[in-house]
Amino acid sequence: MSCMGHNNPIRGFLETSFIDWKGCISSVLFTGGCNFRCPFCHNTDLVLHNDTMEEIPLENIIFTLRKYKKWVDRIVVTGGEPTIHMDLFRMIGQIRAEGIKIKLDTNGSSPSMLKRLVNEGLIDYVAMDVKGPVDRYKRWCGVDINTQTIEESIRFILEGTVDYEFRMTVVPFLHREDDVYEVAEHIRHAKQFTVQEFRPRNTLDASYANIKPFSPDKMAKIRENVARIMTGGSKQQSVVNAGREPAGDERTAVSHKKPAHINTQYEAEKRL
Amino acid sequence: METTDLNLFVRTSEESIADWDRSKIVDALIRETLIDRDTANEISKDTEQMIRKSGIKVITAPLIRELVNAKLIEKGLENTRKMHTRLGMPLYDVDSLILHPNKENANVPHGPEATNLTLSENIKKEYALLSVFSQDVADAHMNGDIHLHDLGFIDRPYCSGQSLEYIKKFGLDLPHSLSMAKPAKHPEVLLAHLVKFAAALQSHFAGAIGWDAINVFFAPYLEGMSDGEVKQLAQMLIFEFSQQAVARGGQAIFTDINIYWEIPQHFVSVPAIGPGGRFTGKTYGEYEKEAQRFAWSLFEVFKEGDGAGRPFFFPKPIVHMTEKFFRTEGHMDFLNLISDVAADKGNTYYVFDRGETAKISECCRLSFKLDERDLLDAREPWRMRYCALQNVSLNLPRLAYLAKNDDTQLFNLITERFILAVKAHKEKRAFMEKLLSLGEDGPLALLTMNRDGMPYLRFNLASHLIGMVGLNEMVQVHTGEEMHESKRALKFGIKVMAHMNLLTDKMRRQENMKIVLEQTPAESTSYRFARLDMRYFSPLSGRVVKGDIASGEVYYTNSTHLNVKHAMNPIERVTNEGIFHPLIEAGSISHVWLGESHPSQEAIADFVIKTFKYTTNDQIAFSPEFTTCNKCHRTSRGLADACSYCGSLDVDGITRITGYFTKVSSWNKGKLGELKDRFRNIEYFSEAKKKAVNE
Repeated sequence: MSCMGHNNPIRGFLETSFIDWKGCISSVLFTGGCNFRCPFCHNTDLVLHNDTMEEIPLENIIFTLRKYKKWVDRIVVTGGEPTIHMDLFRMIGQIRAEGIKIKLDTNGSSPSMLKRLVNEGLIDYVAMDVKGPVDRYKRWCGVDINTQTIEESIRFILEGTVDYEFRMTVVPFLHREDDVYEVAEHIRHAKQFTVQEFRPRNTLDASYANIKPFSPDKMAKIRENVARIMTGGSKQQSVVNAGREPAGDERTAVSHKKPAHINTQYEAEKRL
Repeated sequence: METTDLNLFVRTSEESIADWDRSKIVDALIRETLIDRDTANEISKDTEQMIRKSGIKVITAPLIRELVNAKLIEKGLENTRKMHTRLGMPLYDVDSLILHPNKENANVPHGPEATNLTLSENIKKEYALLSVFSQDVADAHMNGDIHLHDLGFIDRPYCSGQSLEYIKKFGLDLPHSLSMAKPAKHPEVLLAHLVKFAAALQSHFAGAIGWDAINVFFAPYLEGMSDGEVKQLAQMLIFEFSQQAVARGGQAIFTDINIYWEIPQHFVSVPAIGPGGRFTGKTYGEYEKEAQRFAWSLFEVFKEGDGAGRPFFFPKPIVHMTEKFFRTEGHMDFLNLISDVAADKGNTYYVFDRGETAKISECCRLSFKLDERDLLDAREPWRMRYCALQNVSLNLPRLAYLAKNDDTQLFNLITERFILAVKAHKEKRAFMEKLLSLGEDGPLALLTMNRDGMPYLRFNLASHLIGMVGLNEMVQVHTGEEMHESKRALKFGIKVMAHMNLLTDKMRRQENMKIVLEQTPAESTSYRFARLDMRYFSPLSGRVVKGDIASGEVYYTNSTHLNVKHAMNPIERVTNEGIFHPLIEAGSISHVWLGESHPSQEAIADFVIKTFKYTTNDQIAFSPEFTTCNKCHRTSRGLADACSYCGSLDVDGITRITGYFTKVSSWNKGKLGELKDRFRNIEYFSEAKKKAVNE
């Protein structure tokens, strides 16, 4: 496991992303190295081969952030696992000093680092990956870890000191459907729990590349049940819907509210 | 020798079999060419001699004609032969055409109507090259120096921008039609008129039919309608245009609808026309809410997609982002809605009208800036009918091969080709003038109908488009670098476009013709130029053409675009491509290829606002990719080999080809090569990997 002291952990950078911070254009910074070995991980190089990957100097990133600041004023720090690096605090501090908003992606294994970053007001958003029900964590994350750390991070995030979301990637064969609902029960009052589809590409355990993700129908059903649990209902009432639905995934199923000024007039007329 | 001596039957073009009659050859030669009677006689005798010797029993009229042509060549009568030429296609070609789909234009489906279209296009193409254009223009087209677009539609103007006001005011009263319809009293009837008229126009223009401010002009009809009814109308409009694949050649009408959230400044105080073609007593400024309700509903329908959840291919919604847009109530809600459509379905085109210029758009990216005279027309919007007569594109990389790194030579060649393109325009213009002069008895009667003191097609205002293909490769050959590789190369590209812009200005004044630069969509031209240059300019061309040479999937980068494969963030792309846009008057676009990623509407909206504020980019569109299943009729994100719902392998990929969405299976090889290359804003790790992506 890599704890790198003052070594530069930055291994990747994306100047602009439309997807990594919901609702915003953001840059994305990738740190190398991870203390987990989730078999379905799709950032294999970052986890296993980060020693051979080129380091990107923080100065370069700050230079780029300045260059695009009119366009992009936020960055997602992801990995690997950012919180294993002692240097993270200093690094994020430096980015913060540029007036950049910061989102942290973490597996929650270092509640102390997480709390420190939040309490110092250095991050604006946390996305924590919950790999599966906490009692069998080794099965999901591939290593023996102290699940107390996971619980502690979850509790801390739920306190709501910082804006957040929980995420879970659903992997057929690894997870049973019920595992998702168990996680949902566990973080029941969370304001956001995003269920993500597994992508069989470049996986850490090569055999996982052959796993076919759940169909969009099945995912829709799972998300529906999760939503029911999160709002306090009971699980598993929905069955796979065979009918036609609009294309695209759940993230897009927002209905738009018309601006009030083009609505009112006719409501009034109908009343007359 | 008596002609009847020959015991020979001739299969004539009138589907009959006639006895041999040598004098018919003489008659034809005298009628069609400038040859003298004696020579004609002599030729006919020679031909008869040849046929007699061959011992053939039944001969076709086309064969006789070709034999006569052979004799004309023997006598060195090349000009006479040209005039006596027969147009047509080999049996083999017709056979494969009837059996196999057309890949040149992805908007042409495969079917008997489509075959008719291609057959007639082929003959008209030959006709154009032989008879409308001079030899040097035709040759330049044939060898790929320039490309004359839509030659198969030589007897029509290229594309057009229309006003709904015309139908609202005058009803549907088309020359030679079976019935005349008075101005519509109900919105559904107006919609029917619109669709009928669009179909009529499609058969008189080669390309796009654009409709200006459609939601604004519909507005007076929408008063008192419930939200549900307005949505229903929006649905009818979109389905009507997306299903019009029953018209000419089985092609959908290439329709653009221009949409405004605000009432454009030039229409605010214009008296509105309402039901029955009568003025309502209000101005369009007073119909803002109705116009907005309709715009909203249209995008709600685009968001839903068709019955299988696919994006609608047509009509293409073009939303104008103006200074006033950002001052208009509810604009952020609307921007989020159209950005949701952009992210989810890709339909939305964002056109940026900065400052106080007014523009209308048509075709893939053609737009017209309204000048003073047009703004006067705006007082009576039914007059606002525009067209471009023709589009000619220059093969830019070829000029760089020829110039051999000599600047003077290169710019000189650009000028020469430009002048040749203008010559082509003058020839087409003369031909169109001839057709239109026949008036309501001529082939273009519809375009000459006169309901408001001027012909429907306002010929004197027609534009002539000059496009460019492969600026990037031209710069690459000439400077050794592609435009994204260095500031120097980019600057050189700008210098070339500035030169063309200047030429446009000069030629416009010199010829007194409205000549404008346009980014050519070049759906097949970028492939055709690359292919021809591979043939004529190897090995130079082999080093710069994009795509895969081994599989023949080669192309030049479109117009002034930057390399589509290069890993470049969308900010750099819209900014750097946008530098060219002010030099290209008739319109430009930048594409952001999304691939399977699904951005949030707010991120897109934010990007659009910043593009408006911080760049000179004229127009952007976001292009997602889809896989639609022919078994379960559902659609999922990304291009895949199998349906993610039912696993069926019977699927079609769908994404934007140039200016519109269509099935990938219908694309030509050049476009397929480009599709593989398109950079889809993925992350990269380390500079080395970024470089690897770029190599």
